[in-house]
Amino acid sequence: MSIVSRRLLLTGSLGAVAAGTLSRPYIANAAAGTATVWATQGFVPAEDEAFRKTVADYEKLSGNKIELSSMPFMALNQKSISALTSGDVPDLIFHDAPTTILPQNAWNDKLVDVSDVVETQKSKMTESSLLNSSFYNSVTKQRSYYLCCVKQGATPFHIWGDLVEKAGFKLSDVPKTWDKYWEFFKPVQTELRKLGSQYRKIYGIGLQITTVGPNDSTNLFNHFMIANGGKDIVTSDGKLHTADPAVRAAAEHSVNFMTGLYKDGFVPPEALSWNDADDNNGYHEKLFVMDFDGTLSTELASIKNEQAYWHEMVVMGLPNGNDGKPMPMQTGAGGGFIPKGAKNVAVAKDFMKYFMQPDVLNENLKGGLGRWVPPMVQIVKDDPFWLSSNDPFRKVYVEEGTLGPTIANYYGYNPAYGQVAAEQLWTQACAEVIKNGATVQAAVDKAFKRAEEIFAKVSFS
Amino acid sequence: MSTTQQAVAIGRGLIGRRPVRRGWFGGVHGADYVWAIAFALPYAAIFLAFVVYPICFGIWMGSSLALYQELFSDPRYLMTVANTLIYVGIGVNLKLFVAFLLTGFFIRKSWWTKALLVVFILPWATPALPAYISIHWFLSGTWGLLNSALYDMFNIDGPIYLNDRWMGLSANIGAYIWKTLPFWTVILLAGRMSVPQELYEAAAVDGATGLRRFKHVTLPLMANLYLVCTLLDMVFALGDFNSTFFVSGGGPAMSTEVLATLGIRYAFTLGVPNLGVATVMSALPVLLPLVILLMRKLRMSEGQL
Repeated sequence: MSIVSRRLLLTGSLGAVAAGTLSRPYIANAAAGTATVWATQGFVPAEDEAFRKTVADYEKLSGNKIELSSMPFMALNQKSISALTSGDVPDLIFHDAPTTILPQNAWNDKLVDVSDVVETQKSKMTESSLLNSSFYNSVTKQRSYYLCCVKQGATPFHIWGDLVEKAGFKLSDVPKTWDKYWEFFKPVQTELRKLGSQYRKIYGIGLQITTVGPNDSTNLFNHFMIANGGKDIVTSDGKLHTADPAVRAAAEHSVNFMTGLYKDGFVPPEALSWNDADDNNGYHEKLFVMDFDGTLSTELASIKNEQAYWHEMVVMGLPNGNDGKPMPMQTGAGGGFIPKGAKNVAVAKDFMKYFMQPDVLNENLKGGLGRWVPPMVQIVKDDPFWLSSNDPFRKVYVEEGTLGPTIANYYGYNPAYGQVAAEQLWTQACAEVIKNGATVQAAVDKAFKRAEEIFAKVSFS
Repeated sequence: MSTTQQAVAIGRGLIGRRPVRRGWFGGVHGADYVWAIAFALPYAAIFLAFVVYPICFGIWMGSSLALYQELFSDPRYLMTVANTLIYVGIGVNLKLFVAFLLTGFFIRKSWWTKALLVVFILPWATPALPAYISIHWFLSGTWGLLNSALYDMFNIDGPIYLNDRWMGLSANIGAYIWKTLPFWTVILLAGRMSVPQELYEAAAVDGATGLRRFKHVTLPLMANLYLVCTLLDMVFALGDFNSTFFVSGGGPAMSTEVLATLGIRYAFTLGVPNLGVATVMSALPVLLPLVILLMRKLRMSEGQL
C-alpha cells in the first residue's frame, strides 16, 4: 500500500513538474498589450526618473503595459548581445550607445526594420541622426533604419577654468584652430608646475591615447582625422579610403601630433593604458587641466559640488579644423531597436512612435538634465531650456551636438569599423611610435594595412 | 622498510583501494530505486539545463572552421596564447608552492598564528572587482599609492608599471596570486592537518625529525592533494578574466591579454559572440587533458588526502 502511494506521489509530482514546465511558455508569452523593454540605466538618477515618467505616460495614454528592466551600460550591452545570439529577446532594447550591437546585427538580419517608425519624424531629424540610425542588411542587401533615435551624444572639451586662470591664462585667448587649441594647454601646465609641489605632477592635456579602452580612443582619433582633413576615411557607402592621399596625410599628421604631445610630457604617461573611467577619475581629481570626452556626464557627476559646477568647470565646443574652417562633430545616437523574434513588435513600435514625438522626446531629455542632446534642431530652437543661460554647459553642448555641423559615426557606414575600433588600430599606431620608436609613416602603414584586411572581409555586393 | 614507511604504505593501500562496483544503481531495488530516481531527477534536470545545454550551445557556436581562421589571422592571438601560458604556469605553480610553504607556518598551534590566519584570509574574502580596481589605481604611474610613497619616502619617481608588457603581466599574475593564495593555503592546510598524528609518532620512533619527517611523511601524503589543487587551479586560471581585465585591462597595446579577456572582447566589444566562444574553445586542447587528468586523480584518490 505504502509503495503504491509513493508511486502515486511520485507520478503526481512528476506530472506537476511536467505541467509546470509546459505551461511556462504561456507565462513567457505576455499579453498582447505588453512589451518587455530593456533600457540603459542613466548616469544620473534624473535620467531614470525621466525614462520611467515617459513609460508611465505612454501606459496611461495607450493602455499598453511596458515591463521595464533598467541595467548599467555594460550589463545591457552584454545582455543584449547574448539575447540576440540565443534568440531569447525582449520586445525593445533602449540603448544609449548601441554602436557595438547595431551594425553587426543589422548586417546579419537580426533586427526589425523600423523605417515606418522613423518615417513619422524623419523630416524633423538631423541628417547625422538619420545616418546613425541606418545600417546595411546583408540579407536584404539594402540599407534601412534599425534604430529609433531619440538622443545624440557629442564630445566637448572639459576644462578646469580655475586652473587655467591660476596659471595666468584666459580661456578667451584660446586659439581657434585644432592643433593650436591643444597646444594652448602646454604653457598652462608649465606655469602651474611652477606654483608649488601640489602641482608637481599636474598635466595640461588629458589626451585619451589609450590602448586599453576602445571607445574614447577611437572617438579621439576620429576627431583628429576630421580636424586634419581626413574625415572621409570611411564614407557613407561603407568604403575605406586609406589610399586617399588626404586621408593618409591626415592620419600621419594626427599620429605625429598626438605622440608629440605625449613624448613632450604634456600628457599623463599612463594615458597609454587608461581604461574608460581613468580619464574621468583623473579629471575629477584635477590631475590634468583638460579632457576631450563624450557627453556632459563629466560635469553632471559633480552637479552637487556647486563650486566646481558653477565656478570652476568650463565646457567648450570644437574649434575650427587646422584649415581654419568649422569642423563637424561626429555624433553618436541612442534610442530603441527591436530584435527579430520579439513577441510584441506592434507595442514596441507603438511605444517608439510615441517616444519619438518632439514633445515627448524633449521632456525626456530635459528630465535627464540635458546629458544627451535632441536629434531635432527645431526642439532646441523652440524650447529655451536648451539655449538659456540657466546652466553653465548646456548651451555650448547643444550648439556643438545639434546646431553645429555634425557627421555620423563610421560604425554605421560599415560594421568593419567596429573591429578597427575594437583592435584600437589608431592608438596602437601611436603606441608603436611612443614605445617601439617606429616612424609615424611606418606606424600608419601598419594600421592602414590591418584596417584594409578587416574591411576586405566585409562585402556589400 | 622502516615502521613509518610501512605505516604510510599500509595507509595508502587501505584508503586508496577502490570499492567494488555494484552496478549502475548500486544495488538499489524496488521502492528505494524509485525514490532514488525521484531525488536524482531535479539534479539531472538542472544539470542538463545549466551544464549540458550551455556547453553544447557553446560548442555549436564555436563550431565553424571559419571562426578559427579568423582567430588565427588576428595578430594578437599568438601573443595572447603565450600570455595565457605564462599566466597559468607562473600564477598557479608559484602560488601553490608558496601556499604549501605557508601551511608549515600556519599549522603551528600558537594563538597568534591563528589570528594571523584570519587576517591572511582577508584578500580571499574581499570582492574581486573592487580589489582588482584598487590594485589598478595602486599601480597608477603618476598618482598611484605605490609611486607616491616611493616619492615621499625616497624622492624617486617609480616607473609607469602598466605601460610595460612584462610589468603589466606581472601585475596581473601578482593580483591573481594575492587574491587566491589564502584559499589554496587553507585547502592545503586542512589536508596537512588531517595527516594522522600516529604517522609522525612512528617517524619519530624511527628517528626521523624535521626535514626527514617532512620528506618521508608529509610530502608523500600531501602529493596527491597538491597535484589535484594544481590541476584544479589551472582550470580556474585558464578561465580567469577579472585580474587581467581590471588590473592591466589587457594593455598596453593589448600585450597582456589572455584568452579569457580576448574572448570577452570579441564577444562584447566587437559584438561577435561566436568568435569569443571560438577563442575560449581554442584553449580546449589544454583544458580537456587537464580536466581528464583531474578526474582520474580524483577517482584514484578517493579517501586519500
